[in-house]
Amino acid sequence: MTSSSQVIVVGTGVVGSVIAEHCLDAGLEVLMIEAGPRVSRAQIVENYRNLPLGAKPDATASYPPADWAPHPFHGLEHLESTGPNKYDPTYIRYAGGSTWHWAGTSWRLTPEDMQLRSRYGVGRDWAFDYETLDPYYNMTERKLGICGPADPLDQWPRRDRSMPYPMPHLPLSQGERKFTEVMQTKLGLRNVPVAQARNSGMPYDDRPACCANNNCVPVCPVGAKYDAATSLNRLEAKGATILDNSVVYRVETGEGNRIVAVHYYDRDKTSHRVTGEHFVIACNGVETPRLMLMSADDRNPNGIANSSDQVGRNMMDHPQQGYTFTTTEPYWLGAGPVVNSGIMETSQGDFRRDHAAVYFRLNNFARNRDIAKRAMASGKVGRALDEEIRRLTATSLNVVAAFEMLPDPNNRLTLSAQKDWLGLPRPSVYWDVGDYVRRSSVEYSNPLAQRIAEAVGATDFKPASPEKFSTSKHIMGGTIMGNDAATSVVDRHSRTHDHANLYLPGGGAMASTACGNSTITMTAMAFMAAEALVSEAKGA
Amino acid sequence: MTMKTTLAFFALSASMAAAQTFPDDLVERGRYVATASDCVACHTGPEDKPFGGNHRIASPVGDIWATNITPSTTHGIGNYTEQQFSDAVRRGIRADGANLYPAMPYTAFARITDEDMHALYAYFMQGVEPIDEPSQQTALAFPFGLRFSMMGWNLLFADSATHQDDPAKSAEWNRGAYLAEGPGHCSTCHTPRGMLMQEDGGQYLAGAQVGPWFAPNITSDKAGGIGSWRKDEIVAYLATGRAEGKSQAGGSMAEAVSHSFSKLTADDLGAIATYIMDVPAIAGPARFDLGTAGNRTAEFRGIADPDLTDLGAGAQIYSANCAACHGYDGQGTKDQYYPSLFNNSDTAGKGANNFVAAVLNGVNRKTDQGHVFMPPFGTQTNAFNSLDDGEVAALTNYAMNQFGDGVTTVSAEDVATIRAGGPTSNMVKVVQTLIAVGAALVAVVLIATVIVLRRRKRAA
Amino acid sequence: MLASAMPSFTFAATQDIESRFMGASQLLVNHDLSPAVGARIAAFAQASYPNLGDMLDRITETAATRGASRVEDFFDAIPEGELRDFAFWVISAWYTGSSSGDRDATLFTYEEALLYQPTIDMVPIPTFGFSAPNAWGNDLYPLTDLPRF
Repeated sequence: MTSSSQVIVVGTGVVGSVIAEHCLDAGLEVLMIEAGPRVSRAQIVENYRNLPLGAKPDATASYPPADWAPHPFHGLEHLESTGPNKYDPTYIRYAGGSTWHWAGTSWRLTPEDMQLRSRYGVGRDWAFDYETLDPYYNMTERKLGICGPADPLDQWPRRDRSMPYPMPHLPLSQGERKFTEVMQTKLGLRNVPVAQARNSGMPYDDRPACCANNNCVPVCPVGAKYDAATSLNRLEAKGATILDNSVVYRVETGEGNRIVAVHYYDRDKTSHRVTGEHFVIACNGVETPRLMLMSADDRNPNGIANSSDQVGRNMMDHPQQGYTFTTTEPYWLGAGPVVNSGIMETSQGDFRRDHAAVYFRLNNFARNRDIAKRAMASGKVGRALDEEIRRLTATSLNVVAAFEMLPDPNNRLTLSAQKDWLGLPRPSVYWDVGDYVRRSSVEYSNPLAQRIAEAVGATDFKPASPEKFSTSKHIMGGTIMGNDAATSVVDRHSRTHDHANLYLPGGGAMASTACGNSTITMTAMAFMAAEALVSEAKGA
Repeated sequence: MTMKTTLAFFALSASMAAAQTFPDDLVERGRYVATASDCVACHTGPEDKPFGGNHRIASPVGDIWATNITPSTTHGIGNYTEQQFSDAVRRGIRADGANLYPAMPYTAFARITDEDMHALYAYFMQGVEPIDEPSQQTALAFPFGLRFSMMGWNLLFADSATHQDDPAKSAEWNRGAYLAEGPGHCSTCHTPRGMLMQEDGGQYLAGAQVGPWFAPNITSDKAGGIGSWRKDEIVAYLATGRAEGKSQAGGSMAEAVSHSFSKLTADDLGAIATYIMDVPAIAGPARFDLGTAGNRTAEFRGIADPDLTDLGAGAQIYSANCAACHGYDGQGTKDQYYPSLFNNSDTAGKGANNFVAAVLNGVNRKTDQGHVFMPPFGTQTNAFNSLDDGEVAALTNYAMNQFGDGVTTVSAEDVATIRAGGPTSNMVKVVQTLIAVGAALVAVVLIATVIVLRRRKRAA
Repeated sequence: MLASAMPSFTFAATQDIESRFMGASQLLVNHDLSPAVGARIAAFAQASYPNLGDMLDRITETAATRGASRVEDFFDAIPEGELRDFAFWVISAWYTGSSSGDRDATLFTYEEALLYQPTIDMVPIPTFGFSAPNAWGNDLYPLTDLPRF
């Protein structure tokens, strides 16, 4: 049993894996510790196919949690949600992490997204600017294999790229093309191809090309989409040791408040201690702050890395509101990846002083499973039933408004009195999407959505309720980054202000959410953290 | 030109090689001959070092490492005279006089004309970037490590005649014969070998196991060969690696398509097809038009702990690992880019070996038409899933039963053999035993045999 | 003797109900149906409907009375209530591949659920590849061109 390693990475998701590989390539010794099981893609694909129709839309249903590594799952209250809104992120604790069921969407932040405070007087500014992040975005696009448009008008953000995407963007389905055309001609809005971590027209990274099977969420059945699980064998070949089914429950400090060890339970509830020189906790934006709080000791009575009292605070997400329209003309969504185009330009503007920005995503999920209930309830049989299924599938659209959210210290993760299978306190999150988001829903997003619906000829538009938002699983803010140790948890390298050898990279470090999915930004920050760690290790 | 003056000419041209510039059109012609001969497939290890050697060739008598054939004067063939180059390519003799192993298909390259040979030399001296790095050395088990043992083999089996047109055949046929028998070296893989690894002339192109892959019967037999293929199907196969509803190239044939055939002119591919279609039929079991669409998912779909039959277990492995591309009924995609597994030569007879090899090693084929890539299911770092021998056997037996000839089965041991790189020849054991019994006696017998056979060959 | 005779009797009865179920299904659904999937649905129906055999016979008889072989030609003659509800359930089972829309329903089939077939020319069945890399989205088939299945 491994009892020490130069670098210890807790978590095998995209952030942990990218850092581990960077360290391995620099010649460092790496141990990765994963709470959940290591499961084959084949098993998850079959899990999905075996689900009854009613469970198939649930992205986590194909990932039953291990007893010792619970995650939010139907019928299991791992995460307690309090406050006016329901917080229900669908992360999973499996080797490979939640990229298993991400859509692969890879929007970069814009320079403005990183300066909300100085430009619009809301939220926080980042510890660095876009130009600082840009080279790390380039590294991320190459590491994950991100395809994207070559036409500058289709690129996001709309500024000159310092490097092209490594692959061209994926083709749009019939419905996506028609939607794009209607948005342009009727509303002057540009629906652009999504940059995404998916092999486009060619193999990449020794993984096959996308074959349009429309199952990116909950699992890419062929590995054309990047997920961190695709890199684990390679990391082992480069020398990494990966412990799965090993739940880190305590981070131990020593002299100078440096981290000296982590403690984990195996699945027999036996505790083990592993020492190291450099520690990376990359367990996602819920499990990382939970672990920091669980590890409180005499030196750090409020929890590890928490002298600022900001650990677990500022929890953020992209609150969502979905709109399903029925049109008279067929659109035909469903061929290709499940998210393949969207309107980003609605996410920028001076209005951000007053309310949240929003991104409209045109979902490209095959519509059959969603219209099944309506078709079967129509009372039609025979050819009429077949025609009804065909009509409803072709003429229904699902557009999702994804909002940005401000960091609010009251949106806070704490330790619940409830215990999990190992006896560890469950995470509890107070959740209020905030007036900034609610105002946007009423004043900005709903009116825009109505114009979109009318433009596509929808006959049944219903505005979204300003009280109901769903969760995106883009977990941000809980270990927030900043230059001031009094008001933030980690520095620009995702290193904790309190512990010189502890890194908390990932969504938790993000100081603003913008509207685009967070993974690519988390990964770019992971590269920054990895560079800092390696230079520290080499200097030592 | 007499023999003596020819040699003098070669020597002269070689000594001038460094100073001399070959004309561009000659170098380009040589490049085409090199492409037709697929030199790059074996002589390139890391992709960014073309012809730099370090490519492992698994042979039944052990691993052979292809050498650096760049014009490097320190580690390649930069000091070769044209005659030495020709002797290596067409006779299997290195500049230092040592014999090459017949993994280098010099018995086929012997057909290459003097004109093409000259162009090839010009290309390798002038059109290839020198790489001053050594290649891995070949070290075979005794007695194959003794390269001079190849001298007797050459006496027995090598035919040094260059290609001669058959006046009874068309110009196209003759061009095809030249390309197929010479540079294309089809028989190197597709003709089974005898006891001493020589090609069995009586079974010309009747199919042979090459490492993990089976190079199938490509004679004109309608059922077992490719006699049912139209000319345009053969051309399409050579150009893209795929003949829809029939077969697709994997393993070294995928390499040959990627590096060689896909880059030949349409006329040359047509010529090869014309010649191949005329190769005398050697009968074999049917391997096309077999099998039907179908599935066994009802045995396990939605059941937590299904009680599976053997075929059901294979069907479940198929569903989990293969169906995403090849379809739940084995039907492939509508456009057949992902091929159906019925009407597919890999699900019948010896094709089962290729089915297993494709599962374990994946498929990788790159042409102007795109990059065809099936991930491997072995222990590679990019394996989609690492299936064990029993799982691959169950999967293969399901595929043969459901989509194929319905009779072929493989065992976990068969899968292990293919995983290990293919069957090894028992020649190693036989010869080592013989030597143990009495080297002298064997030597005497061998020499006598050589003399007798050589006389017969001359007489014939 | 009796003990050994019992299983074969049960087996025969199962065979019988499966073939009666397939017979009624072929009347209610105008498509090629998989007997293996039918056996799965029939087994579930047997556990859920004590009068399954009777209902199957009544559906078959209703069609026979009309001389009908297509569902459109006799469905209105199935009396509303239990029998009509059952007929809808059978159709729904074949189309959705599930015993109900609930998330804890029993799944009979995924890939052969008929729900995906009316759009199979335009939309993949999720998890199953649709075309060569980047070759999708080009074809547009009219709404009225119902695929044959």
